Amino acid sequence: MRFLLACLALGVFPAHAAPLTVFAASSLSDAFSEIGHKFDAQTGHRTTFQFAGSQLLRTQLGQGARADVYASANAAQYDPLVEAGRAAPGQTFVRNRLTVIAPRNSTAVKTLADLARPGVQLVLADKAVPVGDASRKAFDLIARAGTYGSDFSRRVQANVVSEEPNVRQVAVKIQLGQGDAAVVYVSDVTPALKKDVRTIGLPTRFNPLVSYPIGTLTASQNPAAARAFVAYVLSAEGQRILKKWGFVGAR
Amino acid sequence: MLLPTVVLLARGLSADFWPTLLSPVVVDALRVSAWTTGLSLLLTVGLGTPTAWVLARRRFPGHALLETLLDLPIMLPPVVAGVALLLTFGQSGLLGRPLELAGIRLAFSPAAVVLALLFTSAPYYIRAARAGFSAFDPDIEAAARVDGAGGAGVFWRVTLPLSLPFLLEGVVLAWARSLGEFGATILFAGSLQGQTRTMTLAIYSALESDLRPALVLSAIMVASAFGLLLLVRVLTAGRRGGA
Repeated sequence: MRFLLACLALGVFPAHAAPLTVFAASSLSDAFSEIGHKFDAQTGHRTTFQFAGSQLLRTQLGQGARADVYASANAAQYDPLVEAGRAAPGQTFVRNRLTVIAPRNSTAVKTLADLARPGVQLVLADKAVPVGDASRKAFDLIARAGTYGSDFSRRVQANVVSEEPNVRQVAVKIQLGQGDAAVVYVSDVTPALKKDVRTIGLPTRFNPLVSYPIGTLTASQNPAAARAFVAYVLSAEGQRILKKWGFVGAR
Repeated sequence: MLLPTVVLLARGLSADFWPTLLSPVVVDALRVSAWTTGLSLLLTVGLGTPTAWVLARRRFPGHALLETLLDLPIMLPPVVAGVALLLTFGQSGLLGRPLELAGIRLAFSPAAVVLALLFTSAPYYIRAARAGFSAFDPDIEAAARVDGAGGAGVFWRVTLPLSLPFLLEGVVLAWARSLGEFGATILFAGSLQGQTRTMTLAIYSALESDLRPALVLSAIMVASAFGLLLLVRVLTAGRRGGA
């Protein structure tokens, strides 16, 4: 910030300073905001973010939205852009797992089995949202294991009362006490959210790691700066910040 | 200014209009919107007409304050209205708990949609109705009373016909507003196909996967907005001619 102000005061930017637009999955909001500040302070670039459901960002990029870097919460919402020639092949930069959350003062859902109890109000992300897709896959895995009956997935999905457009909207519903339980990423249980929710762990055999791809976009006006941002996210410092916010490292 | 509308209509009405119109996503959205806006409109007219009448004809302490409070949702961003509804009627809201104990679950229900629409659109009707009841001299009603008409008779025979164009204009404005409602609904009622996913919510969610339902629904919205605006124009023209 001080660096930026100094530049503004002098009316000049270093020759390599560039405005950079990064489209990133909602779950990356906190971690990427911090990475952006550090990256800008070190390089003099001015990075702005657009956070939304990866599927929405993919649609916008597909419709010609101008951006330099895209970080998606799954390959399904990244690879079509590579095929369309709009993005460079993605590299996995971070991984994540799911967790169930419930309002802190509600007792409606205490165990995984409770998710299938009739009358429980469950909030999920839409099927097109990466976390919504992963949640449904997890329910199918639990159903296949048979512990809670083979119709577990069907019964859980019958309890869904809202399908939200991105993972942070899912989290905020539970934070506000609206809904009995929801599925979000482990990294979404930020310090701010922790105060208001309980987490109910999802065993790892039902909860495979999901990989987030990142890459530069072909429409980028500043490809060098875009590559520098990707490199920073993959660097030790970028990875440290991501881990701090609850993500699992890329390797 | 005209170009985006034309482009939207052209895209929405092209190629797959009929198959897309008959797809479950679109049909469910139209059905949910039709009955939630219909019900909220009935409640608006039923509760708003007497309210507007009292505001137009009676003076009491706090009159101006009440009038301002009733107008407030017009100025509130819809998202703020959604937060207010959530904190009041939500699952852990002020009235949400007692309601839940009484066996009424508003959160994520179609009733929550109706409540969101009522909260954000009723002020438009109440405003118009108030103007309607103030648009003519109360002496006309007094004269009718002198001629022997009772309270209800005066209302049905004199007050209502004289203020009717205003009331209809209010209905149309409130309806248009509730058809377009987005922020309060998605926050307070959530978004579930066939239950709480109205046309605007369906457009938003379809934008993220299949563009066609979004285009078709948008075209329908443009057409209905145009129709409603035209109706308001005809109604206000009639009023001017009659006055």
